[in-house]
Amino acid sequence: MEEIVNVEAVSRRFPLDDTPIYHPAYRFVSALSNASMRVAAGEFLAISGPSGSGKTTLLNLIGCIDQPTSGRILVEGVDTSKLKPSGMATLRREKIGFVFQTFNLIPVFTAAENVEYPLLIQGVDSRERQVRVAEALESVGLSARARQRPDLLSGGERQRVAVARAIVHRPALVLADEPTANLDTHNATQLIDLMHGLNRRLGLTFIFSTHDARLLEHTERIIRLTDGEVVSDSSTQGGSRG
Amino acid sequence: MAKFLLLAFRNIFRNRRRTLMTLLMVGGGVAGLLLAGGYFAFMTHGLREDTINSGLGHLQIFTADHFNRDEVRVLDTGIDNWRQVALAVKTVNHVRGIAPRIDFYGMVSNGTKAAGFMGSAVDPEAERSLGFISRIQTGRDLNPKPSGEVEALIGKELAKSMNVGIGDGLTVLAMTSDGALNGVDVQIVGIVNSGAPERDARYLRITLPAAQRLLQSDRVTNLVVGLDATENTDRAYAEMTPRLNGLSQKMELKKWIDLATYYKQVNTMFNGIFLFMGIIVFFMVLMSSVNTLLMSMFERTREIGTMLAMGTPRAWIIALFMVEATMLGLVGAAAGLVAGNLLGALLNASGLHMPPPPGYSVPMPFKVRILPLEMIGSSLLVIISLAIASIFPAVRASRLRIAEALSHV
Repeated sequence: MEEIVNVEAVSRRFPLDDTPIYHPAYRFVSALSNASMRVAAGEFLAISGPSGSGKTTLLNLIGCIDQPTSGRILVEGVDTSKLKPSGMATLRREKIGFVFQTFNLIPVFTAAENVEYPLLIQGVDSRERQVRVAEALESVGLSARARQRPDLLSGGERQRVAVARAIVHRPALVLADEPTANLDTHNATQLIDLMHGLNRRLGLTFIFSTHDARLLEHTERIIRLTDGEVVSDSSTQGGSRG
Repeated sequence: MAKFLLLAFRNIFRNRRRTLMTLLMVGGGVAGLLLAGGYFAFMTHGLREDTINSGLGHLQIFTADHFNRDEVRVLDTGIDNWRQVALAVKTVNHVRGIAPRIDFYGMVSNGTKAAGFMGSAVDPEAERSLGFISRIQTGRDLNPKPSGEVEALIGKELAKSMNVGIGDGLTVLAMTSDGALNGVDVQIVGIVNSGAPERDARYLRITLPAAQRLLQSDRVTNLVVGLDATENTDRAYAEMTPRLNGLSQKMELKKWIDLATYYKQVNTMFNGIFLFMGIIVFFMVLMSSVNTLLMSMFERTREIGTMLAMGTPRAWIIALFMVEATMLGLVGAAAGLVAGNLLGALLNASGLHMPPPPGYSVPMPFKVRILPLEMIGSSLLVIISLAIASIFPAVRASRLRIAEALSHV
C-alpha cells in the first residue's frame, strides 16, 4: 500500500523559559523522543497515551504546524523538514485536513462557509466550491444546518462541520486531535462512526490522537506513547466494526 | 475575494461595543475636522470676497515703474492715459467693470488740529457698478457729480480724532505732482467703519476729479478690474496680459491674491491650524486603533492559528486585518461625514457669532462651509490612519506560532 506518512526518529524539545541558565541540562523539556512510524494510505490510526505523552506534538509535526528538533517526516514522500514556511503552508492547504478538539470553527461564518474556507484558500472557483461544500455537508449529515452559524449548532454538529471542513478539499490525510474530547457519549459515537465511514467509503487516511476508549475500539491500529516515546504499535480488531 | 471581504466585514461587528467606540472616535475625528475646516473655509472665503469687494477687485493694472522704482512725487509712476488702457482691456472675457484709483497722502486740518491720512480717489459710479462696498456707518456715499463743495468720506477714528461729523468741513493738504503744496476744502458726507480701527484712523476718500485737481495731474495710480466671479481671475489674467503688452506705456497686471497680504496671512494661519488638527486626529486614531486591533488579534489568536494551520498564506492574515481596519475607517468616515454635515447645517442655522478677528471690530458669523475636498481629505486621513494602525497587529497575527496559537485560551 502507498505510504502517506513516514516519521523517522523524530524528537521535539521545547525550551523552558524559567529554568536557571546554570542548569543547561534542564533548559529544555522533551515532548517527543526518537519517535518513528509509517502510515499507509487509507489507514484509520489512533495515537494514544496519557496527557503529556506527546500525542498532540506528534500530530503537529506530521501536520507541518511544528518542526522537529531532530529526525525527519515525509508526507507523501516530501521531506517536510526541507520545506520553507510557505511550502509547509501549501502542503497543509492541499494535502492535510485538520479536526481540532475545540472544533475551531470561524464564528462569523455559517457552517457552509466554514466548510468552504479550505477551498477558498486553494483558489477553487465559486461554482465548484458550492458543489463540494454541499457534498461534504451531506456526507456528515448536516445539509439542513448549512446556513447556521457555529453558535447555533450543538457540540456534535460543530465537530461534524469541522470534519466536513477537513475533508472538503479531498486531502491525502486527515489529522484529528482529541476529536471526541468535548463530546458526550452519543455525539462521540456518532462522530467515530462518521469518521470511520468516511475512511472506508472515501479511502481517506485518518490519524487521530485520543485516550477515548470508545474511539480506540473502532481503530485498526493504535500507536501508544508514554513520556514522548513510542511504546507500542499494534493492530486491533476494532477496525472491523462499523 | 467576496468571501474574504465578507469575513472581514463580519469580523468588524464581532465586538460591537469596541467597534462602536472605534467608530465614534473615527467619526468624531472626521466630523471635528470637517467643522474646523468648514469654519476656516467659511472665514477665508468670506475674507476673500470681502477683501475683493471692499475695493481690491480681482485684477489691478499698474505701470511697471510702480514696482520698479520709488515714487519721488505723487503719481510719479502713475498711468498716463488710463482711459486708453481701460479701453484696451474692458472687452476681455469676464470683465464686469474697471475703476480708476489714485492713492495719495497728506494732512487734514479742522483749523485747530491736523492729522495725517492715506487717501484714495475714486470714480464713485465705477466703484458702485463693481459692487465695491464703502462700509459707510453714517451719512452717504460720494456723489459722482457734486454740484458744490468737494465731498469726502473719512474713517470713523479719523472723524473722532478730528472731532468732526457729517456736514462738517476739513482742509485736505497734499503735495502736487510738481512738488508744491496744495489744499482743498472738503465737506464730510459719510463716516466709514471698515472694521479695522488702524485703517479708519487714516481713511480719506474723495472723487477722482477732485484729487486730480488737488494733485494737479491727469494720471491715476492704478485701474481696478472687477470680474463676474473670483474663479475666473486666472482666465481673465491670461487674456488681459497680451493686450497690456501692446500698449506704449509698460504695464504690470496683478491678481488680487498678490495684493491681499492680510488674506494670505490669515489663510496661511488657518491652513497651519488645520494641518496641526489633522496631525492630532491622525495620531489619536492611530494610537487608539493599534490598541483596539491588538485586542482583537489577541481574542482571535486560536482562530488565526486555525486559519494558518489550514494553510492560509500569512499575507492573507495581514490583508484580513488591514481590510478590516480599512472597512472600519470607511464606515467611521461615512458616519463622520454625515455627523459633520448635520452639525454644520445646525451651526449655519443657529445664527451664532464669533468674536471679531484680530484687527477687526465686527463679530464674525459662526458658520461652516464644508467643501468636497475637505470631506475627501478628512476621510482619507482616518482611513489611512486605521490602515497604518493595523499593520503592527496584522504582522503580529501573521507571525503567530501555529501550535501555540491553537492552544491559546
